[in-house]
Amino acid sequence: MIQTSTSIRLLAVAAVGAAWLAATPARAQIVVYCGVDEDWCRGMVTEFTKETGIRTDMTRMSNGEIYAKLRAEKDNPRGDIWWGGTGDPHLQAADDGLTEPYVSPMLPKLRDWAQKYAEVSKNRTVGVYLGALGFGYNTEELARMKVAAPACWTDLIKPEYHGEVQMADPNSSGTAWTVLATLVQLWGEDQAFDYLKKLHHNINEYTKAGAAPALAMGRGETLIGIAFQHDVIAVAKTGKPVQVVSPCEGTGYEIGAMSLIKGAHHMVEAKKFYEWALTPAAQALAPHFGSFQLPSNASLAPPPESPDLSKIKLINYDSAKFGSVAVRDHMLKRFNDEVKSLPR
Amino acid sequence: MKRPERLWLALAAAALVVLPWYGLEDTVDAVLALRPEAMPALGQAAFGGCFWLLPLLLAPALAGWGVARGRPRLLVAGGVIGIAWLALEGLAIIHRGWGWDFLSVLGPAPTQPALGWGALLFALSCAMLVAIGLARLGRCRGDVFVVAAILLTGLSILLFIGLPLLSVLASAVRDDAGHTDVSQFLHKLTDGSIWGFGCLHGGGACGSAWNSLAMALLVGVTSTALGLAFALVAVRTRVRMKSLLGLLSILPVITPPFVIGLALIILFGHAGMATVFLADHFDIPRSRWIYGLPGIAIAQTLAFTPIAYLVMAGVLQAVSPSMEEAAQTLRAGPWRTFRTVTWPLIRPGIANAFLIGFIESMADFGNPLMLGGNYTVLSTDIFFAVVGATHDQGRAAVLAIVLLVFTLSAFMAQRLWQEGRSFTSVSGKGDAGLHPPLPGGLKALCAAAVLPWIVLTVVVYGIILGGGFVVDFGRDNSLTLKYFLTAFSIEHGVGGWFLSGSAWSSFITTLELALVAMPFTAGLGLLTAWLLARQDFAGKGLFEFGTMMSFAIPGTVIGIAYILAFNVPPLELTGTGIILVLAFVFRNMPVGIRAGLASLSQLDRSLDEASLTLGARSFRTVRLVVLPIIRPAVITAMVYAFVRAVTAVSAVIFLTTAQYQLATVYIVGRADVGEDGMALVYSAALIVVMVAALGIIVLLVGRQRIGRRGLAAGNMGVGVA
Amino acid sequence: MNRLAVEFQGVSKLYGQAAAVDDVSFTIEPGTLVTLLGPSGCGKTTTLRLLAGLEPASRGRILIGGRDVTALSAAERNVSMVFQSYALFPHMNVRENACYGLRAGGMRRAEAEAVAREKLRQVGLAGFEERLPGQLSGGQQQRVAVARAIVLEPEVLLFDEPLSNLDAKLRRHVRDEIRALQQTLKLTVVYVTHDQQEALAVSDRVIVMNAGRIAQDGSPRELYEQPVSRFVADFIGDANLMPVTVCGIDDATASVSLGGVTLSLPRRGLADGTAELAVRPQALRLAHGTTGPVLPGHIRKVCYLGSHMEYEVVLDGIAGAFFISDPDVVRPLVEGDAAGILVDAAAVALVPPE
Repeated sequence: MIQTSTSIRLLAVAAVGAAWLAATPARAQIVVYCGVDEDWCRGMVTEFTKETGIRTDMTRMSNGEIYAKLRAEKDNPRGDIWWGGTGDPHLQAADDGLTEPYVSPMLPKLRDWAQKYAEVSKNRTVGVYLGALGFGYNTEELARMKVAAPACWTDLIKPEYHGEVQMADPNSSGTAWTVLATLVQLWGEDQAFDYLKKLHHNINEYTKAGAAPALAMGRGETLIGIAFQHDVIAVAKTGKPVQVVSPCEGTGYEIGAMSLIKGAHHMVEAKKFYEWALTPAAQALAPHFGSFQLPSNASLAPPPESPDLSKIKLINYDSAKFGSVAVRDHMLKRFNDEVKSLPR
Repeated sequence: MKRPERLWLALAAAALVVLPWYGLEDTVDAVLALRPEAMPALGQAAFGGCFWLLPLLLAPALAGWGVARGRPRLLVAGGVIGIAWLALEGLAIIHRGWGWDFLSVLGPAPTQPALGWGALLFALSCAMLVAIGLARLGRCRGDVFVVAAILLTGLSILLFIGLPLLSVLASAVRDDAGHTDVSQFLHKLTDGSIWGFGCLHGGGACGSAWNSLAMALLVGVTSTALGLAFALVAVRTRVRMKSLLGLLSILPVITPPFVIGLALIILFGHAGMATVFLADHFDIPRSRWIYGLPGIAIAQTLAFTPIAYLVMAGVLQAVSPSMEEAAQTLRAGPWRTFRTVTWPLIRPGIANAFLIGFIESMADFGNPLMLGGNYTVLSTDIFFAVVGATHDQGRAAVLAIVLLVFTLSAFMAQRLWQEGRSFTSVSGKGDAGLHPPLPGGLKALCAAAVLPWIVLTVVVYGIILGGGFVVDFGRDNSLTLKYFLTAFSIEHGVGGWFLSGSAWSSFITTLELALVAMPFTAGLGLLTAWLLARQDFAGKGLFEFGTMMSFAIPGTVIGIAYILAFNVPPLELTGTGIILVLAFVFRNMPVGIRAGLASLSQLDRSLDEASLTLGARSFRTVRLVVLPIIRPAVITAMVYAFVRAVTAVSAVIFLTTAQYQLATVYIVGRADVGEDGMALVYSAALIVVMVAALGIIVLLVGRQRIGRRGLAAGNMGVGVA
Repeated sequence: MNRLAVEFQGVSKLYGQAAAVDDVSFTIEPGTLVTLLGPSGCGKTTTLRLLAGLEPASRGRILIGGRDVTALSAAERNVSMVFQSYALFPHMNVRENACYGLRAGGMRRAEAEAVAREKLRQVGLAGFEERLPGQLSGGQQQRVAVARAIVLEPEVLLFDEPLSNLDAKLRRHVRDEIRALQQTLKLTVVYVTHDQQEALAVSDRVIVMNAGRIAQDGSPRELYEQPVSRFVADFIGDANLMPVTVCGIDDATASVSLGGVTLSLPRRGLADGTAELAVRPQALRLAHGTTGPVLPGHIRKVCYLGSHMEYEVVLDGIAGAFFISDPDVVRPLVEGDAAGILVDAAAVALVPPE
């Protein structure tokens, strides 16, 4: 009868499905959680496998997502190593004991800021690259609006940029938290908040995600976006009319970090990746995948496209202070009460 | 009729003595190599030191005694003991020692890995033995199929919806160290960012709870009103647009999230095509009006109107023309007829469509993320509470509770309101007659609402489908294949043709997983619908409530919940394809349930009863009578199960792994780095493939053949209700 | 076959607190057609569904063929049912519908089809095997439903208002067919209807139900001529009901006075006091000048019905009116005419007061 065939088909499909599930391939050798963009992540693990023969599975997520996943999986970790992505979640994971302390023989060969990062985290994490904070503007929008290009943090509060500046919300974004911390370290807390209050009038949106202002700027949705300089450069690389600016007063930075995940199932291989990722060869890969951060290995020169460090005035970023929960809660509360609640 | 218990008894025994008890990373290899960890339970107990597995033998022993003596009570006892001991020892002894701290008084902890195929079959067999025993004791009129269906569906809902949700909601009252802290819960619950009224007095922002509520109410109203207008035009006028509307109605369902938002930005953003055009030619100043409530509302209305249309078209068709004819013979004009007869009759349908729009809007994550601007809503707040800089899972749980309270109260309110107000006028016979023409004013109103909307939809989908083939929409409109080739190129290399495009792997994985999930989702959903519509059993209300839960919660919460619940033994599923399939099945099951319930409520119960009195058991009745007649609902359920699995993102973003990269996660990743062209070309490819897949599914499952007195089974393609 | 085909022992069906069927007991002899009769909502369909196994009984025992089936599901009981809506499977053709029960019972396809073909022929549907139910007329659908039920040769065949979807002419015809089929095949049939005429016409025995209880259980003639209650008298046929006073009793008879006339009627266990008099219209005749105990009155309403006249007559000194049918259509009376009434005591029954 015709009607029986429906159920038979259903059963057949279900059986095939069950068989397919049963035949899931065996796990790979190491699992890398990767916090930078897809191309760079993919390029890194492919090169690693090519050189060492260790099979690698890579899962790319935003760093916040990786941290959340680490927490959820802490009783039975699925990942072995966490490479890349802004450092705060790495520090927080170190604080929570989600990552494994490890002192690499490569450590002395790294730049100061990378070594300091390891020190702050009690060797649970290490710096692999440095990305300077800054902002960018859309050149076409600038021409259309017939205004001057901004060059300094203080330019951003000028009235001609009213409603044209976008920045992420420090409550949800690590990038914006770096902005807050940088301004406080530049000018002191009260003056920084004065500035933020004025900036608030020019802000059109506090985005949830840190990279969003750079993207919106690329699409012409905002004239100015506050973001990491390498994010702005990455958008420019996709062909958008975007110009990166390194603020004249000096700026803060993020440190892209790397951590071994506590309780990793493949710790030996994970350490091999760790060592490899600190070598000049591995760090030299970044520009090939459109990433122009400053590498942490001291023997490697920064890529020509990356913002010229001699022209960037990097502040002496106090990772220990601004990584602490108490300071963060205090600053965020002040930001929410004094800045965000103001009318625009 | 002693066969089923013998079969399941044998399977329970086989599960203990033949199949590998524990789940391993490479089960097949381990069995072939005869490695000790691949031993069955009996072997583990005898040689592996896992003496705590021995009591499991009680289950088949008791049940076997019961079968031999014809004592069903022993079957039940055996099955219950088996499952209970399995759960107890599984939770007590885990991979890293004691599962509960207080057990450490017993001395050093043994360990055991997660449960495997043997344990799975054992649990299933025990559940079946319980079901058979209960049936033999006269439960559910002695029908094994019904008892087993209730038991297995109930257990799986408990396991895959109840357990994960409990584990995530429990974190609402826990602090970071894992201790219960109610004051912190209350503090988070009463937070100003949830309940603030800043927007009402001077410039500030309102709490996300109020924002979500306002958004959901607005979208519920607009999508229902537009859906009704569409349905009136399609069903009650002579405009030939059914097929066009059919196509338009399926599009949003198969559109990956984020993409509608992206298209709206390309169109209406600050530098959008329409915005620039208006600014250049009409001096209308450019603004960012699209970011915030207006943008979200437009995007969500675009997405949810088609569902409202499907519901309303079904309801309108179900209104018996004779009612309206009766009104006309009583001297009522078209307008009066519509107002006094048609409108009250379709009111329950309107409530239903509104509820769907409301819940979908509340739980929607992609559109508010893309277009929210400074308008914060609960669903995005939940996501950023988890992944944002503060990493506050407790806050996420609190927000999830608030959201659940909203959606579930809407659900309950609709239920209460509808009680005794459902005037189904389909009787299956005597429905000859013509619907009266629409009142002229109403017709014009509907057309005025529908036409611009169709234009907008067509433009938006033009951008989505075409955007991947131009360099940079709006700025550089020259055609290019570079995005398409990067994503989907096929090259000829040393080993022959291979798929070298960067999107292939996630593309194929997604289709595979969605196809696997499809029959399970539809099957479980329809089975549940049948149980709800046709069987009476204790706890039925709770049962239905449980199935609604996963629908009303944003996917992000589900994702975290699944990791929390299934990352450690005894059920270790993370990192496998199974957990993705499970997430799809239990998240999309409500669609199957609604489609099934809608069909079954129109299907005369006497058909089932006739089959029963002719000596057919429930299973046969379902298979031979119910399923073939509700075939349109089967198709609907399968189609929705498939496309919702393909377009899901929020639920799976935490569950994907390197082996199981999914299409939507890839799209989000591309959009994250500003590669809009790639995101659009991939979305377009997904849409095309899904349309093709839908066609194939409809062909495979076949069309319904029903005569002229088809018991009103004809117009049941209307599924989601 | 001396065991009973069906036995209900104190069966109740409760929905919450409300009893749809309240402590009902009856038996059915094999080979008979018994009708459950009553107004809508009296519990007759629920009783049928309890018997079919479609509803579980809240209390009491149900036996079919001497076997206790109370706990068994519909599929396990040897009964089959013809539904009011026929419940033909719309996606199966006539042959598949008729085979369904046999195949469910495990019979091989070829064999089942042969049996089904034979039964279809018996109900006059040879040649319609490949049609879908939607392609048949109402009467044909009804026959398919019957054929589908009788192929199983059930111990009891159940009919739930089988004629209600047919037009008046066809109804009479199908009713006779069902009765003929039942008698030829010696089937035990339980038949539910709310149409008292249909019940009287087809049944060996009728069980009248009211408010979930059995009002009277007896042959059609007993019900008509000796209703045990005002309800039964009123429900079966048209009865003129009059409150009367019993003025004298002896062993077998009771005397009641109606107007000026004293009637001596079977006592039926009544005591002194008030009672109700049920007078069938055909027990009354208009007195065209005849002598005897005539009740005087006048015509209030006249109705011409072709084959006979119907009058409503108000009697002097008695509240209420009598319906009388009169064969004389040639010389009808008109409203206001004086008319006397003759009462045939043989067709009058005394029933207890409500």
